[in-house]
Amino acid sequence: MDYDAIVADLLTFIAADAPGDAAFDRLALQLFAYQFAHNQPFAKFARTRGRTPRTVKSWADIPAVPINAFKTLDLTCCAPADAVAVFMTSGTTLGGLRGKSYHPILSVYDASMRRNFAKRFMAGHARMDMGILFPTTAMMPNSSLAHYLNLAVRDFGTPGSGHLIGEAGIDFDRLTAELTRAEATGQPYALLGASFSLVHALDELQRRGFSVRLPEGSRILDTGGFKGQSRELELDEFYDALSRTFGVPRSRCINMYGMTELSTQFYDNGNAVCPSVKSGPHWIRTRVVNPLTGASVPKGEQGVLAHTDLAHFNIVTTILTEDAGIETDDGFLLLGRAAGAEAQGCSMAVDEFLRAAGAA
Amino acid sequence: MVERAGYLPGLAADTLHWRAETCGAVEVLLPMLAGEQVAAIARHVRDQAQARLRSRPVGQIVDAIDRAIARLLDRQDPYRQRMDDLLPRVTGYNREMVRLGLTGYLKTFRKPELQRFLAEDFANPAILDDFQPLAKGGFGRAFGPRVLAHIWAGNVPGLPLWSLVAGLLVKAGNIGKAPSAEPLFAGWFAQVLAEVEPDLAECLAVVWWRGGDVAPEAALIQQADLVLGYGSNESLGAIQSRMPVAKRFLAYGHKVSFAMVSAAALDAAKASATARLAAYDVARYDQQGCYAPHMLFAERGGAVPPQRFAQFLAHELAAFERKFPRRPLTMAEASGIAAWRHAEEMTPGGEVFGDPDGAWTVSYQPEDSAFRPSGLNRTIRVVAVDCLADVPGIVAPFKALLQTVGIAAPPRDLFRLAAALGHVGVTRVAALGDMTAPEAGWHHDGRFNLLDLVEITEIDGRAEAAADRLASYVD
Repeated sequence: MDYDAIVADLLTFIAADAPGDAAFDRLALQLFAYQFAHNQPFAKFARTRGRTPRTVKSWADIPAVPINAFKTLDLTCCAPADAVAVFMTSGTTLGGLRGKSYHPILSVYDASMRRNFAKRFMAGHARMDMGILFPTTAMMPNSSLAHYLNLAVRDFGTPGSGHLIGEAGIDFDRLTAELTRAEATGQPYALLGASFSLVHALDELQRRGFSVRLPEGSRILDTGGFKGQSRELELDEFYDALSRTFGVPRSRCINMYGMTELSTQFYDNGNAVCPSVKSGPHWIRTRVVNPLTGASVPKGEQGVLAHTDLAHFNIVTTILTEDAGIETDDGFLLLGRAAGAEAQGCSMAVDEFLRAAGAA
Repeated sequence: MVERAGYLPGLAADTLHWRAETCGAVEVLLPMLAGEQVAAIARHVRDQAQARLRSRPVGQIVDAIDRAIARLLDRQDPYRQRMDDLLPRVTGYNREMVRLGLTGYLKTFRKPELQRFLAEDFANPAILDDFQPLAKGGFGRAFGPRVLAHIWAGNVPGLPLWSLVAGLLVKAGNIGKAPSAEPLFAGWFAQVLAEVEPDLAECLAVVWWRGGDVAPEAALIQQADLVLGYGSNESLGAIQSRMPVAKRFLAYGHKVSFAMVSAAALDAAKASATARLAAYDVARYDQQGCYAPHMLFAERGGAVPPQRFAQFLAHELAAFERKFPRRPLTMAEASGIAAWRHAEEMTPGGEVFGDPDGAWTVSYQPEDSAFRPSGLNRTIRVVAVDCLADVPGIVAPFKALLQTVGIAAPPRDLFRLAAALGHVGVTRVAALGDMTAPEAGWHHDGRFNLLDLVEITEIDGRAEAAADRLASYVD
């Protein structure tokens, strides 16, 4: 299958209503064959696992590429120079290497984002007043989250919506003015941003003794966790604080779980209870696997999440994350990072070794 | 019966609060101690050691420890039976591996081994009992700290015994914080010692608190004359930051070890035995100890090439897995291995041999000889080198982190390599197969186990002559 047909099929699939298991499988196998033919490092990886278009019979057979591989390999079907966008991980992990995802077009990414965002976050509203607690794409051209939030504000925000972060960080005066104005309008307001930015906002607003009761129907979206960029909070503490400071009930505080290595996001239906169940749209599927064998663990048991995202068509559809999770009836519970274990004894695990060697 | 951790002389039983925690697969009651209680125990241990331990000849202490160890070597002894029963369930290690490991380990603390331990650090161990003539003139006597604090870490069964025995031999009042990963062993040893020698029962204590709980740790540090700490650089750094400047803190950080196999050990007759020894070092306690190998450098030029040797090693690890299965891993540990294995697979030229269930993994790397830690839990990187003499240069950047090297090489190479390895920070060279079982009296991380704990009080040579002038019988 050629590139144009793949893109056309994908856009049709994303736009479809509940296309069903067989259609998902068919497209996943077509994409596997396409990536196997055009993405050399991936083809080599698949061959070492004995997976070729001949042996892969269902989407669950597609070998999951560990996210670390994105740091050392150019996993792409198009030439890297032909990409219109390169999304990179933050590089906060050791070694400073950044995982890269090359996008020859953004129409598939954007279609995936829009359809899912409209359903899971906007909940019936065509547009809302929005404030974004994250840098713009101009400030962070390689951030998939910056692109995602730009799309949100462009396609779902009212004209007055915009970013509340500038070169100097969060503009707190503007944030409080914006929130006060939103409270007065009585129209639902949406505050979206990185989880750690929201923590910074909570801390500063508390210092100023500022809080609001945003109008009925207002919502908050946080994503990405704290990543050592703010203090670490327990989830319950975090959502309680959001609810207290902004007057938005925890059931309308939505967490988005996304990754640079994907073109589709997962959402929960609010965080009245933590951990919340996450789920994605019909063009992404998740297996909970034993990281050593790649086999699915029995439902209800803890494993590591492997996602198959058809929208990530130029790179690889199927990735092995380092996130622990448990499968549930309507999605999965996200339990945090599964990697980075320390030795139980007096030996050293990889992370500790690298830290110690760096300090030595 | 629910097992209680710790050993707490000097605290009234009705003032103690216990909390049930699940350690591995065992429910354990752990004492919840406030800072003031830890301080009270430390003072009690100090006073009791002053009264009963410090004037006791070291030979008698050796005898008492020897009797306690004899009890624990007896498989019918109730404490030994509790160890054999519970330690595998607490740590997850294979039952038979723990049993064999404990016996081998405890044997290094019998009387002859303890005497060797003493002789290793003191030319004349009587210096612990009384003033002894010094080579420079005058007399000296070695005094251990009044209160020696131990902050233990890790799940390798029995590790606290090293420093506890060292503390007793230098006649210190001992108070140790049991590791959360295996909180039982230290308390059991204290109880057995108290049973065989009731007079010493109050001279040592084993306490516990949750990692990161500052108040009890601060109380312990405040009461101690000397603190021994084990753990990661992070946790040792945290302790260090709370140490008063004038108090000594001996930090034993986490270390890495590796193995070297010369072409001479890779002939057709010896290669498979060499692989078995290496596999033993990898499998024993699943590489959780600092003396276990992360990498193996195999020399080219033998009849069995390094790549073939890596396959032999894989075969032997498979055999160990059948005999002594690896302990169950947490999801984080499994994920760590998966990440390591993928990185090894991505290394150009690399070849990875692994069990389908991931119970062990051998990564063979002919092109990339960089020193990298393993994924732990029976994973090892085998690197081909043209000459073992190149290895010290490869590991030199990690000087501060190196500990044991297991070597399979002929005598001349053994000494030549040991010298080069010593220059780059290696502190122990062992035979392959012995890496995880240090001998009695070894210098842990290159240090002196007993000498580091004592201070010498010396009588200046001229003081004797000056005293003579004041004798009643002076002419």
